[in-house]
Amino acid sequence: MQLRRQPLPAPRPGDPDPAAPLLVLLLLLALQGAAAAPAGPGEPEDSGWRQDAEFPRGLLSQAARAALHFFNFRASSPSALRVLAEVQEGRAWINQKKEYKVDLVFTTELYNPEEGKEHLGKCSARVFFRNEKPRPAINITCTRLIEKKTRQEEDYRLYKYMKQLKNLLDVVSIPDSHGHIDPSLRPIWDLAFLGSSYVMWEKTTQFLHYYMAQLSSVKQWKTNEDAIDFDYTVLLHEFSTQEMIPCHIHLVWYPGKPLKVKYHCQELQTPEEASGTEEGSAVAPTELSNF
Amino acid sequence: MAPGPSRSAARGIFLDQGTNLCSLHRQADSQPLRQQGSPEQKSWCSGTWEKRTPHMRLQLVWPLQSPGSFSIAGHQVLRISVADEAQVQMVKELEDLEHLQLDFWRGPAQPGSPIDVRVPFPSIQAVKVFLEARGIRYAVMIEDVQSLLDEEQEQMFASQSWARSTNTFNYATYHTLEEIYDFMDMLAAEHPQLVSKLQIGRSYEGRPIYVLKFSTGGNNRPAIWIDTGIHSREWVTQASGVWFAKKITQDYGQDPAFTAILDNMDIFLEIVTNPDGFAFTHSKNRMWRKTRSLTSGSTCIGVDPNRNWDAGFGKAGSSSNPCSDTYRGKFANSEVEVKSIVDFVKDHRNIKAFISIHSYSQLLLYPFGYKTESPADKDELDQVAKSAVEALTSLYGTKFKYGSIITTIYQASGGTIDWTYNQGIKYSFTFELRDTGRYGFLLPASQIIPTAQETWLALLTIMEHTLNHPY
Repeated sequence: MQLRRQPLPAPRPGDPDPAAPLLVLLLLLALQGAAAAPAGPGEPEDSGWRQDAEFPRGLLSQAARAALHFFNFRASSPSALRVLAEVQEGRAWINQKKEYKVDLVFTTELYNPEEGKEHLGKCSARVFFRNEKPRPAINITCTRLIEKKTRQEEDYRLYKYMKQLKNLLDVVSIPDSHGHIDPSLRPIWDLAFLGSSYVMWEKTTQFLHYYMAQLSSVKQWKTNEDAIDFDYTVLLHEFSTQEMIPCHIHLVWYPGKPLKVKYHCQELQTPEEASGTEEGSAVAPTELSNF
Repeated sequence: MAPGPSRSAARGIFLDQGTNLCSLHRQADSQPLRQQGSPEQKSWCSGTWEKRTPHMRLQLVWPLQSPGSFSIAGHQVLRISVADEAQVQMVKELEDLEHLQLDFWRGPAQPGSPIDVRVPFPSIQAVKVFLEARGIRYAVMIEDVQSLLDEEQEQMFASQSWARSTNTFNYATYHTLEEIYDFMDMLAAEHPQLVSKLQIGRSYEGRPIYVLKFSTGGNNRPAIWIDTGIHSREWVTQASGVWFAKKITQDYGQDPAFTAILDNMDIFLEIVTNPDGFAFTHSKNRMWRKTRSLTSGSTCIGVDPNRNWDAGFGKAGSSSNPCSDTYRGKFANSEVEVKSIVDFVKDHRNIKAFISIHSYSQLLLYPFGYKTESPADKDELDQVAKSAVEALTSLYGTKFKYGSIITTIYQASGGTIDWTYNQGIKYSFTFELRDTGRYGFLLPASQIIPTAQETWLALLTIMEHTLNHPY
C-alpha cells in the first residue's frame, strides 16, 4: 500500500477532516505490527527480497530521513516538525533490481526545540528505495510528540500570525550569513521547511539526502483567500555531492488540511551546463505534485 | 612640557595613504612623539600596515575617550616642511601652545622630515598664520577629517569588531578575512615569545596564506598541525580556529596538561586555509566551498581542496566536472592552497598529528576516504577518536559519531588526511563540527564559542595522546 498514491480531497472550509484517511492508514499500519518487531525473513507477500546483512552503514539514516520528510509533509503542521535524533535498529532487504527495503526504528526531536524541554518521539517505518530513483515509498508511524489539541492550536496561532504579515517580498536570505533568523520571520522559515520536506522526500534516494540550507527569496505571499499561498525559493544542500540546489517551491497551506506543493529544482550541473553555481533563473513550476 | 589632557582624545587616527607611519614609531632615535607610545600602538603597526585599498582609510586605533564630547568636523591635517633647524624649533613652539589642541602625528624632528599635524577647526586660522608669518611651508593633506571618517565609518562599523587587542576581539561573531589577519598580527605581537606568523604561500588570487606557529623553543620539535576553513563556507571552523589561537596563549603556563604539550611540541595553526573562497563567501556567495581557481576549458570556477590531494586522486569519491562542488582539479596538488601545505609538511618532516577541521555533521573521522581497506593503525585511531569524542561530549552533551571517512560519511578521494596518513603522520583526523543540519553552514554565531570549547577538548585528547606516544 503506497500512502502517497492516495488521491487527496481538495480542502474546502467545512470539509470533513481530511486527516481521516491518514488515521485509517496509521491504524492499519499499527495492526500490521510495523511499529513492533520487524517481519521475519522471507515475508510471504514480498517475493524476491533477500535480507542483506551487510547493507551500507548509512542506509538506515537515509531511510530515517526520507521517512521523516514524508511524515512532516503528511502531518502538514509547521508547529510539529520533527528531525532525526537517533536510529535505534533496522534491517534491510535487497532484491534483484537492487532496490532496498528497510525496516527501522528511530527517535525524533522537535525541529524547534523548546528550551530545557526534551521532546523525544519514536517512529517506526518501512522505506522502499528504488535503486536511486526518486520518491521512496514510505510507511511510517510515530508516537505523538505533542498533544493533538496543542498542535492544532499552535498551527492556528501561526496561521493567524502569518495572515497579517505583509511586505514579505523583500525578504532575502533566511538565515543570514551569520545564521540569524529574525524571530518575527521564524514562522516563514518553518512553513518553507514544511514545503521543502515534500521536495526533500521525493528527491531522497539511498545515496542522496538533503537539508534545507537557506530560504533565498519570497516570490509571492498571498493571504487574501483562506489559505496561505506561499511561493518561494530555497537552497537545498545535497550532502554526498555537497551541491547547493536552488528550488522554486509553491505551497498552499491551511491549518488541519494536507499541504499542497508544486516545485521545480535546478538540475545538478553537467559539463554542458557550465554556468557556475549562482542561483538558477526562476522557472515556472512544471513538476506536478499534488495540486 | 607635558602633553595636555586634551591631546589624549583622538590619538592615533592613522592615515593610510601608502605612507608607512609605523616605521616612524619604531625609529628609536627620532624625537619621541608627544603622544604616549604604548605597546598596543606599536603592535598595531607591526604587521597590519600593508597597503590595502587605494582609498584613504582612517582607522581608530583605540576608541575615543568621550565620543559624545569630541567632534572632528572641519579638522584638517597639515604637512609641514621645515627648511632648517630654526624652523624645527619654531614648530616645536607651536607644539607647546596647548590651547591650540594640536595633534602631531609625525612630530618635529629634523629638517627634511615632514611634520604631520591634525589641527582642530578653531585653530586652523591661527596655525596657518603662524606658519606663513615665519615662512614655513605647509600643505593641506586632509581638508576635512570628519568627512573622511564619515566615508569610512560605514565600512568600519560594518566590520563591527575593530579590536585593538585580542582581549577586546569579539570571538562570538563571524569575521572577515581582514579582521582575522589583523587578529593574527595582534596575537603574535602580544605574545612574541610564543607566537609567530609564517607565510606558507599565496592563494590563486594572490592573498597571503598564513600559519601561526606556537613554540616554546627547541629546534624543529615534533609538531601538531591544525587547519580550519579549507572549505570556505564552513564558517564555524575559521571562527573556531581564531578561538583556538587565543586559547593556546591563555592556557600555556596555566593549564599543566597543555603546558606539557607545548613544552615538548610545536603547534601549527592555519586558520584561513582557503582565503580566496573565504573572501568570496563574504562578498558574493555565502555558500561557496571550493577555491577560486580558473579551469581552462570551463566557465566554472574552483576546485574542491579536499579532493585535490595525492591520495587516491581521481578515484571514485570526487568529480571530474569542473562545475561540481567536489571537482578534484586537473591533477593532484594543482591548487596552490593545497600545494603550500604539502610543501610545508614535506619540508618540516616532523609533524606527528594532522587535524583538518570542517563542518557540518558532528563527526570525528580517520582514514581512509578513498578506499575501504582499514589503515594499519585503525584500532589505535579508533580508540583515540572514541576518547576525543567522549571529551567533546562531556562539555555540552553534543553528540558526535566517529569512524573512518568511507564508512562514516561517504567515499571521498584525494582527501587531506588520507595523504597525510600515507606520509607517515599516524594521528591524522578530520572533524565535522556542529550542527547536524538544522542550520548547517549557517550556524548561528551564538554557537561559535560553545563549538570551539567542546572541540578544543577533543583536540587536547589527540594532542596528549600524540605527546605520550612518540613515534
